[in-house]
Amino acid sequence: MEISTFVNVMRDSAGIPFYPVVFQGLYVLTWALHAAFVLLALGSMGLSLYGSTQQKSSPYWKILTPHLIMTGKISISILIVLGVAPLLFTQVIYDSGWYVANTLSGAWVFIFIYALVIGYMMYYWYQSANKKGSSSSTLIGIISFGILIFCGVLMHNFAVEAISPTKWMEWYAPNGVIDNAGWNMHLDLIRLGFMVSLMIPVTGIFMQNYTQFLSTRKDFEPKYLEFVKSLGTKLAIFGLLISAVLFALWMQKESLLLHPLSLATVASVVLLLLLAIGNKNSYVTTGILVVVALLISSVRELIRYKIMSGVGYDLYGYPMNLEWETIIMFLLTFVVLGFTGIAFILTMAWKVGKTEGVYTATEGSAVSRLANASLVLFILWIVVYFGWGMVALFKNTL
Amino acid sequence: MDLLGFYPLFYVPEIGSAWLMGLTGAIHIMASHTSVGAAILFAFLAHKAQKENRTDLYDYMKRYGMFLLIFSYVIGSITGPGIWYTATAASPRGISALIHNFVWVWATEWVFFVYEVIGVFALIYFMDKVDRKTHLKLTYTFALASVGTLALIIGIISFMMWPGTDAYYATGSASDAFFGTNTFPHMFLRIGFMIMMSGIIGMIISSAMHKENKELSEELTQKMGWVSLLGGFVTVFFFMWYINTLPANAQALLEMAKDSIIMNRIILAILFSLYFFVAIIKPQWINRTIAITMMFVIGIVGVWPGEKLRETMRKPWVAGQYMYSNQIIGRDVPGKEIKSEVELIAAKGLLTVNPWIPDRLRTITPENKLEVGKLLTRIACSNCHSLEKDGLYRPLIKLAGPMGEEGIREYMKNVIGTGSSPYMPKIALPDEEYDAIAAYIASQAK
Ligand code: HEC
Ligand code: HEM
Repeated sequence: MEISTFVNVMRDSAGIPFYPVVFQGLYVLTWALHAAFVLLALGSMGLSLYGSTQQKSSPYWKILTPHLIMTGKISISILIVLGVAPLLFTQVIYDSGWYVANTLSGAWVFIFIYALVIGYMMYYWYQSANKKGSSSSTLIGIISFGILIFCGVLMHNFAVEAISPTKWMEWYAPNGVIDNAGWNMHLDLIRLGFMVSLMIPVTGIFMQNYTQFLSTRKDFEPKYLEFVKSLGTKLAIFGLLISAVLFALWMQKESLLLHPLSLATVASVVLLLLLAIGNKNSYVTTGILVVVALLISSVRELIRYKIMSGVGYDLYGYPMNLEWETIIMFLLTFVVLGFTGIAFILTMAWKVGKTEGVYTATEGSAVSRLANASLVLFILWIVVYFGWGMVALFKNTL
Repeated sequence: MDLLGFYPLFYVPEIGSAWLMGLTGAIHIMASHTSVGAAILFAFLAHKAQKENRTDLYDYMKRYGMFLLIFSYVIGSITGPGIWYTATAASPRGISALIHNFVWVWATEWVFFVYEVIGVFALIYFMDKVDRKTHLKLTYTFALASVGTLALIIGIISFMMWPGTDAYYATGSASDAFFGTNTFPHMFLRIGFMIMMSGIIGMIISSAMHKENKELSEELTQKMGWVSLLGGFVTVFFFMWYINTLPANAQALLEMAKDSIIMNRIILAILFSLYFFVAIIKPQWINRTIAITMMFVIGIVGVWPGEKLRETMRKPWVAGQYMYSNQIIGRDVPGKEIKSEVELIAAKGLLTVNPWIPDRLRTITPENKLEVGKLLTRIACSNCHSLEKDGLYRPLIKLAGPMGEEGIREYMKNVIGTGSSPYMPKIALPDEEYDAIAAYIASQAK
């Protein structure tokens, strides 16, 4: 059977409600966000495991370890919620690939969810055991870490299967005998290794930010901050070098080494390396890190686009039923309410982090104004929602 | 070529893949409803604490919040995408239909989720790190964001039952699909349940505080009793309205099971009213063990059967009354240019239109007849029936086996094939495919 009919016929018959390229852009953007927190979560957790063996003898590790554990804990929650967006967009425009991967690996899909539940619950356990100074905390942490890494391996499995259209039939029905138990597992170790290796530099740069942020606080000893900073810088350099090698190998394998996008990625990584070594202003370094994350996300998308269009998948010709109401709702909510609301919480977090004791948002301060604006916007949103709902219902029932 | 957009089949023996979804769904409902309910409760408590200068309430909120982090923000936020993932494996075209109709609604909900997840950490960890007034504002927005997530998902899950009016089929518009006649009753039904859950969980926390602070513990248990009672009342009230906004097929299915459901609901209502009254009158009687037990009771006896019922009432559809449970489009939706696939399947047969049939099975021969029969039965029936003799999920062999090979063929032809069963999809097939299925089922029943 023609593989191009195959991949196109599985596109949803409802069509898509907006231009494919918009979903593609949102996918690249939101996956980069997901990945950033995956890497920060795994990296800070991994380092905290080492810290948990050092904290008895080293006063610095005694401060740093719980901070790393907390960073990991919050990052996991954030990576989960950020993962929802690319999950949504990928199955809008690449539904053929995504649903095939999920059905071929249905059993793993189920295991993924419960592994994540258990791994994350154990993480809370790890945190509390570490707080109590229990000697088994490292072991609990290692198991939790292992489970979470395993979740990443499963994610990677779905991603690889989704972009292997020429192998699908063989995986589903090896030698013509159908196997619908859903135990397919197919890995691409270089790609996976590269993705996971990035946790080292991301954590290193995070630690540079950590010290820069806390340097204004009187209650943190400068010596301690110096210790964290130099460790962070070492991790960033060492990690970037490893990741760079793996990236080159991966691009070589995909024959994309000289593609402008991968060259741009390499150039930004070199810049990142220089900035990390210099460590003048880690916030600038972080800015470049964001660029690198977006580039890597774009490279991933490029690979997928190449493979899928190579077998005749017509992404930009996906039948479209243009619809304005709901996209306007999304854009307004995302840009107006989302940005204001997140700005409120982050500004508040920033101030709290900078303050010893209680932070008070005075009348007219940024935090207070953002708080008021968020509250008004949320109320307005609910009012519009009910108004819209009633109009729609009356129109259709009366 | 006459191919239809089927996906590979993921098949779980004995229990059926739908059961995996149901399990994840039931856990998620407990966690997510508690989370929204607790957000509303927090707004109320924080307001009270601020107005009456009750700083002791913050201590309670903090403990509640820590519990919430694990219960709702570990379990709830993972099982949320979890339902989606397992549904993807079990019913890819069903999920796809929802995604392609509602992608922007889901994306909007995602904005609220991000706010909630970052917000919950700020809410709990900044409780004594920012001034009370700012914290109160955060608590209000957090409650509104949580309610917002419900407001956004409710139209989608209501659409799974049915679009509510006929407008959607003509316009194909997400707004017409979203705001159906049962969207709002469904929403308030859930808000009631959320409030009740927040009280039920609240009693676990308050009763655990008994040792350190007896007075506060009892006062809060009492309050949680009132909260739960209020929530329970709202739930029951809107349940009755909700039932009346269901489509005819659901009403018919409900009718079949009505007596046992009503019995179950009455017993639950009495049991829980009693529990809440005890909490109000004799708060010292409620200890942590009882409170935790009651949480499990509501989950196992209330939510789980409720979920199974909702799944059953939706039959034979999974989405918008145009996508059948067994992944076949069963009606036209002109607004989206969607065409029914039933006729093409009747003319050509599943073996021709399904892209995932290995070539050696595309033509039936005496040698492969049983193997093809097995495959066709899995494709056409396994979404709603387990195929093992002692399977747990409407076991097909038990239901159809006694009819005998001839009987099964006739039943499929005259009942299922004509669409005359209220809860089964219309599955019309060429004769040789009926033969293969009947031969397979009969061979298994031996
Ligand atoms: C959309 C879900 C669904 C699908 C798909 C489905 N069934 Fe059913 N079927 C049901 C339900 C619900 C019942 C009622 C079960 C009960 O009474 O416990 C049922 C009952 C039956 C019965 C018992 C007689 C009756 O009418 O109650 C037979 C026989 C049967 N199904 C055969 C099949 C066959 C054969 C297929 C595949 C070609 C199939 N079903 C596909 C939902 C489905
Ligand atoms: C600890 C948990 C998790 C880890 C370690 C993890 C890690 C990863 C990794 C490594 C990838 C890239 C795979 C590749 O390209 O080879 C990825 C992709 C992705 N992740 Fe996660 N992830 C986790 C949880 C989640 C969750 C909960 C969701 C959904 C809510 C999610 C959604 C996604 C999506 C949609 C993709 C892109 C898949 C594609 O388009 O091919 N992830 N994740």
